[in-house]
Amino acid sequence: MSFFGFDTTLPRDRDRDPGPSRGVFENSDPFADIARATANADEDDDAIDFEDTYDGLGDQLDNDQDAFNDDTFGGGETKAVGRDFDFFGRTAQVSDAIGEEQVRYSLQHPQLAQAAPPAQAPGIPPQTATAQAAPPSNKRSGYEKYSDPGFIPDLQAKSSVWGTSQRKPEPVPAQASNRKMMSLEEVEAQMRRLAPQAGPMPALHSLPQPVSEPPYAHPPPQQLPDGFPPMPPELMAQLEKGVLPPHMQPPPPGVSELCGPGHPPPGVPLHLLQNANLPPPNMPPSGPQRQSGPPQGPPQGQRQQQMPPMARGPGNNGMPVVTNPQQLMHMTEDQRNAYLVEDAKRAKRNHKIFLLSKGNGLMTPQDKNFITRIQLQQLVAAAGNVTDSDLESVLTEDFYYQVYSQIRGAPRQHPHQPLGHFAQTYLLQTGARFGHGRRALQSADNHMQRMQQQVQRAVEAAKAKPKNKQLIIEGSLGKISFSNAKAPKAILNIKRPDSSEGAKPARKIQSDLSLSDRKSILTNLEAVYSALMSMEDMERTMPPPPEENDPEAIQEHMEWRQKVHTLNQKLWRSLKVMEPIVPNSTTPHPFIALLSCPKGKKAIPRIFRHIDQEQRVTILTMIVVHLDSLDVVRLAQSTPGEAQPSLAVREAIELFSLAVMPSLLGYVNEAPFNIIIGLLGLVIAQTHVQSVARTKVGLGILTMLLSRAEIVKEAGQAAERDWQQWVEKFNVLFDTLEPVLIEIFPGSINSGDDMYVWQFLAAVGIGASPEQQQRLVIAVKDRVMETVAYSKTLPADMSSQRLGNVNLFMRAIGLDVELLG
Amino acid sequence: MLFFSFFKTLTNQTVTIELKNDIRIRGILKSVDQYLNIKLDEVEVLDLDKYPHLSSVKNMFIRGSVVRYVMLPRSEVDVGLLEDATRREAANQAGKAR
Amino acid sequence: MERLSLNDSPAGGQQQQQRNRQFPQQNDLGPSAPGQPGQQQQTSGPPQLPPQMFTTAAQLLDLTDKKLVLVLRDGRKLIGVLRSWDQFANLVLQETIERIYAGNLYADVPRGIFLVRGENVLLLGEVDLDREDDVPSSVTKASFEEVFELKKKEDSQRKSGDKKRHTHLSALGFEPEHSGEILF
Repeated sequence: MSFFGFDTTLPRDRDRDPGPSRGVFENSDPFADIARATANADEDDDAIDFEDTYDGLGDQLDNDQDAFNDDTFGGGETKAVGRDFDFFGRTAQVSDAIGEEQVRYSLQHPQLAQAAPPAQAPGIPPQTATAQAAPPSNKRSGYEKYSDPGFIPDLQAKSSVWGTSQRKPEPVPAQASNRKMMSLEEVEAQMRRLAPQAGPMPALHSLPQPVSEPPYAHPPPQQLPDGFPPMPPELMAQLEKGVLPPHMQPPPPGVSELCGPGHPPPGVPLHLLQNANLPPPNMPPSGPQRQSGPPQGPPQGQRQQQMPPMARGPGNNGMPVVTNPQQLMHMTEDQRNAYLVEDAKRAKRNHKIFLLSKGNGLMTPQDKNFITRIQLQQLVAAAGNVTDSDLESVLTEDFYYQVYSQIRGAPRQHPHQPLGHFAQTYLLQTGARFGHGRRALQSADNHMQRMQQQVQRAVEAAKAKPKNKQLIIEGSLGKISFSNAKAPKAILNIKRPDSSEGAKPARKIQSDLSLSDRKSILTNLEAVYSALMSMEDMERTMPPPPEENDPEAIQEHMEWRQKVHTLNQKLWRSLKVMEPIVPNSTTPHPFIALLSCPKGKKAIPRIFRHIDQEQRVTILTMIVVHLDSLDVVRLAQSTPGEAQPSLAVREAIELFSLAVMPSLLGYVNEAPFNIIIGLLGLVIAQTHVQSVARTKVGLGILTMLLSRAEIVKEAGQAAERDWQQWVEKFNVLFDTLEPVLIEIFPGSINSGDDMYVWQFLAAVGIGASPEQQQRLVIAVKDRVMETVAYSKTLPADMSSQRLGNVNLFMRAIGLDVELLG
Repeated sequence: MLFFSFFKTLTNQTVTIELKNDIRIRGILKSVDQYLNIKLDEVEVLDLDKYPHLSSVKNMFIRGSVVRYVMLPRSEVDVGLLEDATRREAANQAGKAR
Repeated sequence: MERLSLNDSPAGGQQQQQRNRQFPQQNDLGPSAPGQPGQQQQTSGPPQLPPQMFTTAAQLLDLTDKKLVLVLRDGRKLIGVLRSWDQFANLVLQETIERIYAGNLYADVPRGIFLVRGENVLLLGEVDLDREDDVPSSVTKASFEEVFELKKKEDSQRKSGDKKRHTHLSALGFEPEHSGEILF
C-alpha cells in the first residue's frame, strides 16, 4: 500500500508471494541468503536495464579518486552487497578510523593534538543506534568483521531494535530473490541461533564499547578486554608528549600509576615494573594493595592487572608462588592447606573479577583523560598556572603545599643541594639548620662607627626620661581583613542581649590605652609578619644586577632598592624597637612584649635576615636592657618549693634558645669589642644581675658576651684601653655574682641540664684573674664534687657527659676532674 | 585554596575522618581534590559494628561536603608555615574583595 | 613554584636551574651582610607530586569498573559496579543492588543501573572481593518486607529524635550542621 496507490512492489518481488511468516525453519541455512544474493543479483529482468538508458557521460568522469567506490556502492563483487547499505556500520568504521588517526596524529604532533578534541571522532551516531547485538567494533581491525559472513545477523538484530523489522534492511531484497522476507520473529530467531553463546548481553551492551571484546565467546581471563587499565599506553605517551597542558608533563611514576596501573612510564626499566611489588624509584611508599601493575602486553601481565591482589595481595602473606605441582609436593601439610585455601580464594576472586569485567571499558581512557583535563583547567583557572610561568599566582594559591614540599618532601637527591628561597626562610624559623658557617665577611670600619653610634643612641634612649608617657596605637598597623570571598557559614550564632554592658567596657578602655595589652601585641606581630612576607617576596623579585650602560636596568634596580628600604622601615616601625623606654613601668616595652609571644620569638631569625647591623645591635641592646622583664627570664626565676619552671615556661625558654639566641649570637660573634663592653655594662647597670644569672637565657647571654670578649682578646684585637674598661666591668659582674654562684645551678644535682651553667662558669673562669679563679673554685667546689660523685652512679655515656660539662669549667681554670681522683 | 593546598601535604599520611553522620574512618590519605573530596586507602572504620555496610571496604572516596573533621598527625603540620599561608590567603582574599 | 616530577630527569634538573636564575635573591641591604645565607641560588626543592593527582578524576580513576559500596546522603546503600563518572562525581553504577539495613537485619533489592548526581554521594568504597561474602556476624539476611517495615519504624524514630536535638541546639545558638538536613 503506497501513498499514491501505486503498486510499490519491486519488479523482482512481484511474482513471489510475500506471504505470512513461514517460521524459522525455512531459513535453516543462515548463509543461504548470501548465497542467493550472490547468485540472483542480476536476475531482475523486469527492471529497466541500466545499459539501455545510460548516456555514457559517466565514462568521462575522472575516476582517480574513486578507489573506494566499490566498497561504497558494491561494485565488483556482489557478495559484499549484504553490508553495503549498512550506513551506520560504515560510519562507525570511518569514525573509528578517524579516531584512530587522531590518536596516531596526536602522538606525532603533540602540540596540535592538544587543541584537538579527544580522539572520539565526530559524527558518531547516537549511541542507541549501536544495536543491541552490534558487537563493539574493534578499533584496530574495524574492517575485518565486515568480511566475515557471520556478521550479517547483527545487522538484522539492529533493525529489530527499532522494532521496524517488518521491512528488511536494505541489502536484503537483493538476497531474497527466491525467498520470502523474514518476519521479525524469524529475524530474532535467526539471531538467537547465531549468537547464542554470548547469551543475552546485559543492557549495557547497547552502549558502544571502544575496546575489542570478542562478542561470541567468554574471553578467557588472559584476553580480557584491554580497556581494563584505565589508560592505554598511547595515552600515557600522549600525556608525555605534551598533549596535555605542559604542566602536566612529564608524568612521573606516581601519575602513571594513578592513570593507568600497569602502564610503565617510559624510561623506567622494564624489569623494575615486571616485579609488581617493586615501586618505581622515588615512589612514595605504596600500600600493599597498591595496584601497580606490570607492563601491558604479555598475557601474564594482563592477568595480573585483572587480578591485582593475586599473588601479591595481603591475603597472600609470604606464600610461595606455586608454578608447578612439584612444588606443592614439597610443602608441609600446613603450607599446602594454606596454599589450597589461598588458591580457592584466588579462583573465586578471579571469577568475580571476570564477571565484573564484562562491562569494562565503558568509560574510555579518552573520557577519563578528558575529565582530568577539565579539572586541571579548573585548577589552573583557580590557582594560576601550575607551571613556573606564573610563579606568583601559584604562590598565592598554593603557598603551603609548594613550600612544604620543598622543606619536607622526599629526601633531596643531593644532600648539599640548597633549598629554595622559602625553604630557607622556614627552616631558619624553626632553627633546625640555623647558623652553619654562613657569615659573610664585611668591611669593618663603616660598621664599627655605625654600631658605636647605635649603641650610644640605644643607651641614651634607655636612660632618657620619656617625654611622652604612652602612645596610643594608631591605625598604622595596616588593615587586617578577616573577610573571605566564600565567607564560611558561622556555626555559632549567639545573639548577645543588648544590655550586657557591665564591667567589660571599662576594662576595654584601659587595655586600648596600653601598648602592651595582648591584642595590641598580636596586632603588632601581624604587622611584623606582613612586612616580613612582603620583604621576602621582594627578595624573589629582585631584578638582575644592572649593567653599567643600561640606564633602564639601573633605574629598575634603584626602584627595587627603594621599595626594599621602605619595607625595611615598615618592618622596623612595626617591631616597636624604638618606642621609648618607660622606667619602672608595669607594662613591658612593646618590643619585649612581642618577644614574649612564641610567634614573636619565631620571627627573630627571619627579621635578622632583613635588617642591617645597626638594627641588629639595637635589637640586641633592647633585649639586654630588658633582660629581667623578658618572659623567659622573669618567669624562669625558680620559686622555692618548685624544682623547675612550669612546662609552658620551659617551652618558651626552649623556643627562645632555638629561635632567638642563634640570631643574637650570630651578631655578637662579629660584634666589635666596644659593643660587647657596652652591653655588659648595660646588663650590670640596668638589670638585676643576680636574678638574671639564675636563668638559662640570662646566663646564656652573659656567656655570649664573656666568651666573645675572650676571643677578641685572644685574637689580639682588643686595645689596651678597651681591655681595662672590660676588666672593670668584669670585676663588678664577678663581685655581684660571687655570693649567688651556687644558686645559679638549676634544681638538684640529678635534674640533668646544667651544662649551660658550666659553660658560663668556664667563660667566667677564662677571663678571671688567678685570685678570682680561686674564689670561683671555692664557690662552686661543692657542686663540682657532687657532680663527680653523682656521675659515678650513672651509666657510662651519661656519666662522661656530666663529667665533660664539669671539665669544661675545670679546664678553663687549668684543672681537670681527673685530678680530683 | 588554602585547605586544598594544606591537605595535599598530608598525602600518604594516616588520618582519621569523621563524617557529619558520625562515622569515623581511619586510613591513608591518597589524594584530595579541589572540592576537598578525599581518597583513603587501607581504611579502617571505627565502630564497625554500627556500620556493617562498610565491613568489606578497602579504600574509599569521601565527598568533601560530608566531612566534619579530619584528624591529622601533628608532626606533619608546619605551624609556622601554615600561619604564613593563612596570612597570604587573608591578604589574597582581601585583595580580591577589593 | 617548580613542579617536579618524581623521576626527575637530568634534563629537567637543568631546566630547573635555568628558571631559578630568573629569581636571584641576593638580599642586598647594603651593609647588612652577616646572618645572610651564604648560598644564594634558588634551587629546586624535593620532588612534588603531580597536579593531576589531586583531581576528582584521579580519585575515581582506579575505582572505575570496580565493585563499590555507594552511600547516598539519604542513607541508601547501593552496591554496584562503577562504570562511569565525571568531575562532579556524578556516577553510573551497573548491576546495582540496594542493601537495606534495619536493626540487625538486612535485605537486598536488585535495582539495575543507577545514575547518581554527585551531590548526593556521601562516600564510595571499593569492595574487597575477598571479604565481601563475609557478612559481619552482627547482621543477618532477612526478607525485604520484614526489613523494610523495621526500617520505616527506625527512620521515624530517628527523625523525631533529631528534630528534638536540633531544637535544643538551636536554642543554644548552634546552627544545625549540614543546613538542618539529616545525614545518615
